[in-house]
Amino acid sequence: MNLTFEETLLILRVVSVVVLYLFILQVVLVARRDLRVATVQAQTQAQRAVLGHLVVVDSGSAPLAPGAQLDIVSPTNMGRAPINTIVLESTVVSMEHARIYYRNNSLWVEDLGSRNGTFLNDQQLEANKPVAVRPRDILRVGDVRFRLVP
Amino acid sequence: MQQNVKNLFDLRRYRWSELFLLILPASFILLGLIQLQYIAGHNNNKIPEQINVNNLPAVDVFAPQLLLIIALVAAHVAISWLAPNADRTLLPIVGMLSGMGVLMATRLGPTPQIDPANLGIKQLVWVIIGIGFCLGTLFATRSLRWLRLYKYTWAAAGIFLVGISVVNAARHINFDSPTHDQLYISAIGFAFQPSELLKICLVIFFAGYLAENREMLTMDGKRFGPFYIPPLKHLSPLVAMLLISLLLFVVLRELGVALLIFGIFISMIYLASGRLSYVWYSLGGFAGGALIAYNLFSYVRDRVSVVGNAFAPGVANDKGYQVVQGLIALGSGGILGQGFGLGHPNFVPAVQTDFVAAAIGEEFGLAGLFAILGIFILLIYRSFRIAIRATDSFEQLLAGGIGSIFAIQTLVILAGNLKILPLTGIPLPFITYGGSSVIANFIMVGLLLRLSQPKDATV
Repeated sequence: MNLTFEETLLILRVVSVVVLYLFILQVVLVARRDLRVATVQAQTQAQRAVLGHLVVVDSGSAPLAPGAQLDIVSPTNMGRAPINTIVLESTVVSMEHARIYYRNNSLWVEDLGSRNGTFLNDQQLEANKPVAVRPRDILRVGDVRFRLVP
Repeated sequence: MQQNVKNLFDLRRYRWSELFLLILPASFILLGLIQLQYIAGHNNNKIPEQINVNNLPAVDVFAPQLLLIIALVAAHVAISWLAPNADRTLLPIVGMLSGMGVLMATRLGPTPQIDPANLGIKQLVWVIIGIGFCLGTLFATRSLRWLRLYKYTWAAAGIFLVGISVVNAARHINFDSPTHDQLYISAIGFAFQPSELLKICLVIFFAGYLAENREMLTMDGKRFGPFYIPPLKHLSPLVAMLLISLLLFVVLRELGVALLIFGIFISMIYLASGRLSYVWYSLGGFAGGALIAYNLFSYVRDRVSVVGNAFAPGVANDKGYQVVQGLIALGSGGILGQGFGLGHPNFVPAVQTDFVAAAIGEEFGLAGLFAILGIFILLIYRSFRIAIRATDSFEQLLAGGIGSIFAIQTLVILAGNLKILPLTGIPLPFITYGGSSVIANFIMVGLLLRLSQPKDATV
């Protein structure tokens, strides 16, 4: 098969553009698989790592039912921002208020520099200083009070 | 670190998809080089008229540009070690875009052959240095704490860098010329554009400040009709920072960068607060600033008037010459383009910096330009996806801010080339010829890669 100079260039030119589109297709496929893996991971993590529960004692001005049980995973972020694990829709709760997490065989609670403070058994926590918690401790986040249960 | 080394040899968890995605950018670079060599050979009568399997031309593709492919693969291995779970599509996307940049610079260089004085070689060196900076950023930000703690230091450093160039500019000031020569800081025979670094410093500062004061912005403050009255006290450091950087660029007459900074500010304050009121206030401020600039600087008036009547007699061959030539180049490309290396993009003045999109449109056609746009959309999508998955406000805002920078830059310069907006000197990320912008973009990619690496469960 004989090709002229122009024909060869035409082939190279079309192939270059096709390569660009194939690349977009490939990236989209990888990104789609990524999304699926992320969803599966999020589901299995949620099933696996429930380390305890928070029972709502006093829901303050947040729309929570007293007595409701919320799961503790590691880390559990609490605050008003929708990104948190536990969203507390209350005006005295900060966007990123407090965090509970698991380390060295114990659960720790840490105030994230909130405006109205986090209280453990009515003692105010220092900002960014994690404190170990035990079952039956009372945790107050803004005006919402929880009891920790295993 | 030791864990990471173990992961590097764990073949099941290796970043195969990233390596796999790098195949097409590498073949695109190879195809482009073959085309250029082939055309050069034909012009020197070294290529036979009829080509068949028996007399394939000896195309010398072992050009220095191939180093780019090696650098990308090396970066892939380094990322597997530094951040084994980071986003896998960023490096191939950026590799494709900078491959396009190196090819375009090679083609637009004074001689399209392999030649050390060629722009392509210079761009290649910048891209390789940029990849180095990207990996350096990835290494240095293993903990993001220091980025966020020293936010005022970052802001001050950015302003200081631009301040130096203001002093430079003040020496030979001429308020009506739109040249940008004085925008560079030269050191050791190396010119750097501080505005590129300033934009990174500003994004880090905005992200740090807004993450800390997010509540102030979203608190139910006083309202005036549908508008919230912003808590000015808490916004003042932000607004002060914005005004200082805007003023610096008004003094330097680089209004494209001022536009970019304003865009970053608007998108980040909206990302942080989720309130449209702030966007309306900022747009009002922008309109005011634009009016002042329009009345103050004649070159701004020129550029705006070119948008309206570029083809008018007396404009098309004078102030609108560049824009008109760019549009003609785009138009002559048609759907499939003239073919890489076969158009005449050099008819457009400063094509390698201001009008690289027109050159792509001329040689790869509408199809090629759309593909490049698609790749930019993927880059921006990945940035915002990293922002969505981030675990705290600072990281979220930083990733979102970087995504907005890429988006705004692409939009503003493409709209300028298409005569939709006044032309500005903002570079098209990764493709425009120029060291400072390539390095700054790669630093931002390093940050994105770090932000996309999930934190260890033990932290």
